Amino acid sequence: MPDPLSPIGLSLIAVTLPLLGSVLSALCGAARLPRLAHMPAVLTFAAAGVISGYVLFTLAGGKDPLSYKAELGTWFTVGDMKVPVAFHLDSLSLIMLSTVTFIATFIAVFSASYMKGDDGFARYFAVMGLFVFAMCLLVTSNNFFLLVAGWEGVGLCSYLLVGYYYTKPSAAAAARKAFLVTRLGDVGMILGIFWLWKFGGYHSNIDQLVDHITHQPPAADQITLCCLLLFCGAVGKSAQLPLYVWLPDAMEGPTPVSALIHAATMVTAGVYLLARTAPLFALSPTAQIVVTIVGGLTALLAAFIALAQYDLKRVLAYSTVSQLGFMFMGLGCGGAIAPNIAVTAAIFHLFTHAFFKALLFLGSGSVMHAMGNVIDMRKFGGLRKLMPVTHATFLIGSLALAGFPLLSGFWSKDQILTALHDAGTGRSVFHGYYYTVYLVACLTALMTAFYTFRAYFLTFWGEERVPHEAHGHAHESSPAMTIPLVILAVGALAIGAVVDPLTHWFGHFLERSPVLHHADEAFHKTTNMSVGHHAFNVTVAAISSVLSLAGIGIAAMLYRKGGPEKVPTVLKPVFALSQNKAYVDEVYGATVVLPAETAASGSGQFDGFLDALARLISFIPRFLGAVLRPLQNGLVQFYALGMVLGLAVFLTVVVLRSGR
Amino acid sequence: MDSLYDNLFAPGTLRVLLMVVMFAPLGFAALVALTGERFRAARRLSGLFAALHLMLTIFLVAVAAMYSASHTHASNDTFCPIAVPGDSGEGTAIAGGSQEHRTSWNLFMVGKPDPKVPSVPPAVQFFVGLDGLNMWLILLASIMTYVAVSLSWHSAREKAGGYYAWVFVLQTAVTGAFASFDVILFYVFFELTLIPTFFLIGGWGVGGGKRDAARKFFLYTLFGSLFSLIGLIGIVYTNPTFSSGQLSGEVKDLQMPLRRGPVSFSINQLIFNTYNWRQVLDGRAALAQASAEQRAAEVEQKRQQNAADLSAFQKLADEALLQSKTAAAERDRHSAVQGWLFFALIAGFVVKTPLVPFHTWLPAAYAEAPTPVTMLLSAVLAKLGTLGLLRIVIPLCPDMAVQYGLPVFGTLGAIGIVYAAFCAFNQKDVKLMAAYSSVSHLGLLVLGMFALNSEGLTGATLHMVNHGLSAGATFALLAVLHDRYGTTDMTQLGGLWSRHTKFAFFLILISLAAVGLPGTNNFITEMLLIGGLFKPWAFGTVGYWLAIAAASGILLSAWYTFTMLRNVLFGNLKIPTALPDGAKTGDLTGRELWALLLPTLGCVVLGVYPQPVLDSMRHDVATIEKVVNAARMRVNPTLAELEKTQPPADEPDGVHH
Repeated sequence: MPDPLSPIGLSLIAVTLPLLGSVLSALCGAARLPRLAHMPAVLTFAAAGVISGYVLFTLAGGKDPLSYKAELGTWFTVGDMKVPVAFHLDSLSLIMLSTVTFIATFIAVFSASYMKGDDGFARYFAVMGLFVFAMCLLVTSNNFFLLVAGWEGVGLCSYLLVGYYYTKPSAAAAARKAFLVTRLGDVGMILGIFWLWKFGGYHSNIDQLVDHITHQPPAADQITLCCLLLFCGAVGKSAQLPLYVWLPDAMEGPTPVSALIHAATMVTAGVYLLARTAPLFALSPTAQIVVTIVGGLTALLAAFIALAQYDLKRVLAYSTVSQLGFMFMGLGCGGAIAPNIAVTAAIFHLFTHAFFKALLFLGSGSVMHAMGNVIDMRKFGGLRKLMPVTHATFLIGSLALAGFPLLSGFWSKDQILTALHDAGTGRSVFHGYYYTVYLVACLTALMTAFYTFRAYFLTFWGEERVPHEAHGHAHESSPAMTIPLVILAVGALAIGAVVDPLTHWFGHFLERSPVLHHADEAFHKTTNMSVGHHAFNVTVAAISSVLSLAGIGIAAMLYRKGGPEKVPTVLKPVFALSQNKAYVDEVYGATVVLPAETAASGSGQFDGFLDALARLISFIPRFLGAVLRPLQNGLVQFYALGMVLGLAVFLTVVVLRSGR
Repeated sequence: MDSLYDNLFAPGTLRVLLMVVMFAPLGFAALVALTGERFRAARRLSGLFAALHLMLTIFLVAVAAMYSASHTHASNDTFCPIAVPGDSGEGTAIAGGSQEHRTSWNLFMVGKPDPKVPSVPPAVQFFVGLDGLNMWLILLASIMTYVAVSLSWHSAREKAGGYYAWVFVLQTAVTGAFASFDVILFYVFFELTLIPTFFLIGGWGVGGGKRDAARKFFLYTLFGSLFSLIGLIGIVYTNPTFSSGQLSGEVKDLQMPLRRGPVSFSINQLIFNTYNWRQVLDGRAALAQASAEQRAAEVEQKRQQNAADLSAFQKLADEALLQSKTAAAERDRHSAVQGWLFFALIAGFVVKTPLVPFHTWLPAAYAEAPTPVTMLLSAVLAKLGTLGLLRIVIPLCPDMAVQYGLPVFGTLGAIGIVYAAFCAFNQKDVKLMAAYSSVSHLGLLVLGMFALNSEGLTGATLHMVNHGLSAGATFALLAVLHDRYGTTDMTQLGGLWSRHTKFAFFLILISLAAVGLPGTNNFITEMLLIGGLFKPWAFGTVGYWLAIAAASGILLSAWYTFTMLRNVLFGNLKIPTALPDGAKTGDLTGRELWALLLPTLGCVVLGVYPQPVLDSMRHDVATIEKVVNAARMRVNPTLAELEKTQPPADEPDGVHH
């Protein structure tokens, strides 16, 4: 048991508080006090945020490696499978923990107002508390199976919250899809964990296992296999190709849920997993290039689909997929330049993205709230006068997402682009691939700026239009909703510049994690390349600024006056392709879902055949009976004849035998 | 702790308690039968009895588990049943006497007692007890009987007394089979379960084909288990006790005359006998071969020396060769017989479990039985098959289990996981979906079990309980549904969340347990079962495909379960237009809530804090493992060594800065 006032003790308190909040919220619901259900959630999240922030600030500034471990007993142990309840607090998990609890606090505040009066108010906050707990467990666990517990826990909460409006068939379908698609990735991840367990001396604690493998690495293809299997889990959870399809559908949930789970926190779990296991990936440059390519393709495809969407939330959802692709592109660079640069770039982008994407989602929630739950941008427009605070904060979020110079998103995206550029021009065997992905990333950055501002202009500029569903209640949201927007906007505006390019605080802090240290060592051993450090590249920054401004400029040109859409005839097919989400859902329906369902009905029929076979065998005795039954005909003469014949045969045999 | 037990429980208390737990349901059955047609009386009385029985069983198992987990046994040679009635030993209090854990209650003799081995009477004995493998199953049976009794509403409307009486008879039969340590006694109880089940399905079934389903169930499983009976008798008579009088440990004296002593029906004695017959015959053949080779070398030497007494040596060599051939033939004959007996023995258990493709009796029986009885079938009775594998097949035929277990039955299990999952998805009736889901989960259980290492075996032992709880609770919820709408057909039901909130809560929670979400019981055992397949022996003999099939179950179970949830709970409300007479309305009643709470709590507790239960199984799983490891050394020594080698255990890191 760790000392409750030590850094890890405090962090564990922060981890458990949301669980307490969840239980209390559920009790509020059970005790017929659902109107109070948001209180436990808000208070425990805030307390957890304050505690983890406190721990972060007390530990910041030093230079020594930062790593605290604690074991709180055994979960289960049989033979070689030993699973302790083990926690690990290093700079990586501390950054994740603080980000999650900080963002969650404001989203809970926002939700309290957004969800007011809903039937499932208590259920909402109970599940949200459970989610924050599971997420905190995921980022602090030092054991693979405990990590899986957090991993599946957040998946469950996502399922319950996407399907929150359970009478809506589309929500039900989206919830199921989200759970199943991510679970497909989880199968790979669990297999990967077992393979690592096998190669890693039957350790299941992440640090011991990584230690064992980096010191006695198995064959290169084996470690590549393990890494790619782990990556499967990340692909599912973080919505990358080919498993990203669940995330846009997950927008069926309440908007604050999309902000918390499907933008800021849960979907970044895959990025965290790869960062946490960076030393393993450092052993396999092949796995790394796969990660980068998958990230690049995802970023490009998602940005392309986002270009022509009319549903504001879906634009943001595809944008999330695309930005997660950026993070994976960055992570994969660890195979060509030093892992510490790659991981820092990815986690930094994760960190800034959490702010501006949560802000954008909450902003769209605020719009949706005012528009009577309408989110189709063709039905409203010119809202900037009507909702000034929402407009201003949304603008800041959009600028940050578009990578407008000096805002948060600019700095973190710049780090990823620099990493890709350096990897593409370095001496890795895969440098050609890295350079291609770098170009793809630049193109994606341009598209990002364009679609973000297309959505922004369509929503806030042009003629003021309000859908009739708004019932004349179209006005700025209450302070409980706008204050979180303002706070997150401040973060989106400045936090990127403050924590890294000005102070280099973020990079230095993250580098103190032993994970990055081990990863660099493993990288050096595997590739024989020296370990560099991040350096600001003026050319890359200039290119990215130009791209961002160009994207914003084109969007302004086309959509400054609001809708409707004016597409040149030449581009109509492309536009349709984008609008129909590149037909990926249809392709999956035909190639995966349909065959699986056909296999199911085929199995059902085959089962009938098996049953018939068993029945056939059961007919054998009956058949024998039918054959022999005529012998028992009850006629005495027949029996007498039988006896005589039998006697005759018997005697013949006896005579013949004795005669020989 | 010991002294506490000593003071609290006089020796024998637990033995009496075990007898009560086994046979009280028969008394309940007689009393409940007296109520005849009076539904309310029968229901109240049986609810009371079941609750009483549950309390006794919880007490008994809690004490036994604490004892099992805390005691380190000197040897892992045999299972260590405690609370054995008729144990003549005067040992420490609740261990129930002698170290051998024998009983003196003979049911009938099959031969004359051998004066050399007085402690092994050639008799079928009333040998029952509690050990790590069965105590939790006995508790499970008691819990599920309580749940079944509480939830039998619509299904027990007619001839209520008879219905509840048969349920209690079933409980005695199944508890007896779980507790048995005598193979014939086990077989008798095993078959006894068929009679009440037959009448429950045939008499109180819900579908039109109930009689056909009951007959099919009866004949199919009986057909399988008759092979098992042949196997059992074969094992018993080909592995009699050694007349030298050695009854435990390892027979070292290979030169002793091989005279057959009295046969034994005790599983523990049979484990020793089969193990040592194999060892002795192998050892003698090896010895004879070595001696023959030595003689042949001598002859060769003499031949080169052109020695005069060559012919004398040649004669000796011929004799040695003959002896060697005889010994080898004897060994081969024995192992061939054991091989055939293995396949006969396992037949009944794979049908009972059931393993694909021997499962075709199951859909009909599960669908036609009244839902509470389906619950008992899947939660409790299916475990007779898997317990039979663990308790009888693997320990008594270890060589065959090592050679054919994973490649044949493990593969069938793997096929079953995937195939039954696809079948489950195809069902329109939730009851049938749950039925196929059972087949899928039990496929995983059998697959992991045949990895035959501590992870797989422990996982299998606990998975029996876990599957019993989660599948049982699923069927219990379906019984609730059936009492309200008279159907469990997904095409007729939908959107029930908006109508039954508590029901929805339980259904979601139990579905999560069924798909093995962490924090629920099935996660723990699925991880153990899959983990076992990654150990060297399993990996070395069958590769990784079976492990991949096992892991695919994680996705496939979620596929059909969450589709069912979407259809039944989500969307707009859809209920049948014509409701059955006397149907309940509204959300869960208090009685239903209590009944569901038990298995649900079990699912959560075993998911969060399973270690005490795992600890209580350690010794008896180690027994199986020891037998298996010896067999592995005979089959493939290199791989067996790899399996045994434990990696150097690092000290777990404490808090350090």
